[in-house]
Amino acid sequence: MSEFKSGFFMGSESCNGRVLIVDDEPDIRKVVRLTLQKAGYEVLEAENGAKAIETINTGENRLLLDVIICDIRMPKVNGIEAIAYFRQNYPRVPLIVLTGFPDTDMATSLLRQGVVDYLVKPVEGDKLKAAVARAMEQRELARL
Amino acid sequence: MLTLLHQLRTVKVVGIADRNPDAPGLRRARELHVPVFQESDNLLRVTSPDLVIDVTGDEAMETILRQRLPAGVGILSGPSSRLLYDLVKHEFALQAELLQTDKLAGIGSFAAGIAHDINNPLQLILGLAENLTEEQDLETVHLQARDIVEAVKRTTAICRDLTSYSRRASGRSEQVVSLNAKLDEALKIARYAVGLQDIEVRKSYWPEATAIGNPDEILHVFINLMTNAIQAMDHGGILTITTATCDDTTIVKISDTGHGIPPEMIGRIFEPFFTTKPPGKGTGLGLYNIKNVVHRMHGSINVESHLGQGTTFTIVFPQNKPEEDGRSS
Repeated sequence: MSEFKSGFFMGSESCNGRVLIVDDEPDIRKVVRLTLQKAGYEVLEAENGAKAIETINTGENRLLLDVIICDIRMPKVNGIEAIAYFRQNYPRVPLIVLTGFPDTDMATSLLRQGVVDYLVKPVEGDKLKAAVARAMEQRELARL
Repeated sequence: MLTLLHQLRTVKVVGIADRNPDAPGLRRARELHVPVFQESDNLLRVTSPDLVIDVTGDEAMETILRQRLPAGVGILSGPSSRLLYDLVKHEFALQAELLQTDKLAGIGSFAAGIAHDINNPLQLILGLAENLTEEQDLETVHLQARDIVEAVKRTTAICRDLTSYSRRASGRSEQVVSLNAKLDEALKIARYAVGLQDIEVRKSYWPEATAIGNPDEILHVFINLMTNAIQAMDHGGILTITTATCDDTTIVKISDTGHGIPPEMIGRIFEPFFTTKPPGKGTGLGLYNIKNVVHRMHGSINVESHLGQGTTFTIVFPQNKPEEDGRSS
């Protein structure tokens, strides 16, 4: 699958990349969107794993999605199942876990599966932006 | 003594006598709808008891009672009645400790849900507060400050729910309890232990469903049954909560569509320390405590289960109706 930097297609030099936030809490999606949009990212939202899978398979997202930020405890397809799907079908899209419940065993397992960062809520805006920036670098390297 | 004996399912307290109409024992008896008498002769004549417990402390009373009572009626007097009181009190203290142990063990299993429900509003509060340090638009400042206030309220509600759950039940006396409200409260807390994400909750309430009991103990009963029900549906399902009335009783049913209880185990589930959960996941005290609480309320609990189809627990509580005690003086 050919992959291109999203800014190329969007014709917007100011866009730093396209990020999908997957969380069942609208408040979390809202505040992540607020933080990342101010940092120049385009932000898409999904309220559960099933919606996230639908979103990444829709239109240009399968090519242009740069980073996924994913909660664990969600209805329908939960974070663990969604992450397994993304790793299998979109292995070059970096995944960041943003969870309300710190679980060392789960963090270790997810990082082994290729998740690039495991963040525990509440996470400061700067840390979130730094994690997304690191993931974007990884995404760029994957495109080379 | 009266309160403790009244809670024993195998004992029916047929009456109490005291010459002082304002005696605390008589007041309590009226609350429990136990017939009261000012003359012990009337009590003995009207009620035909199997056993008389003398708590007067009067050494001559046993002799007097023996003269008046028909043959075959037992008498507990003096140190014997004191011993009975101590034993019954000890039994209830033990049951209260077991209930509390089970609750505290349950709080451990709530950790994931509590962390989830507290950290989510905290994320909103932190993100908005960070934004407010730079926000120039006054209307946005107002809206985001309001969101922060709402998020703080949600977090405090979680702490309130848990305080109500962890409180020692013995601190509150028996009262008329709205079972529908308790079921709703229990559902809020049960979801901390187990995510409700893929569980459909169906409620059907009889609006006047009440029972007499300790509200904290009733809450614990419902939380425990709901937690078990939800845990039995690890791949999703339907949790049905029903209250109804039938023949002077109030009925509560909690049903799941989970994996069911194997027939060889169903006869043992109310035994103390019996658990099918892996080590560290259950104390084995949950259903034992539930049975004790329900029996103390003079109710009954039954279970019906089909492997692969689900389980229904049915609790039948007596309705709060005063006994016909025209004999009361």
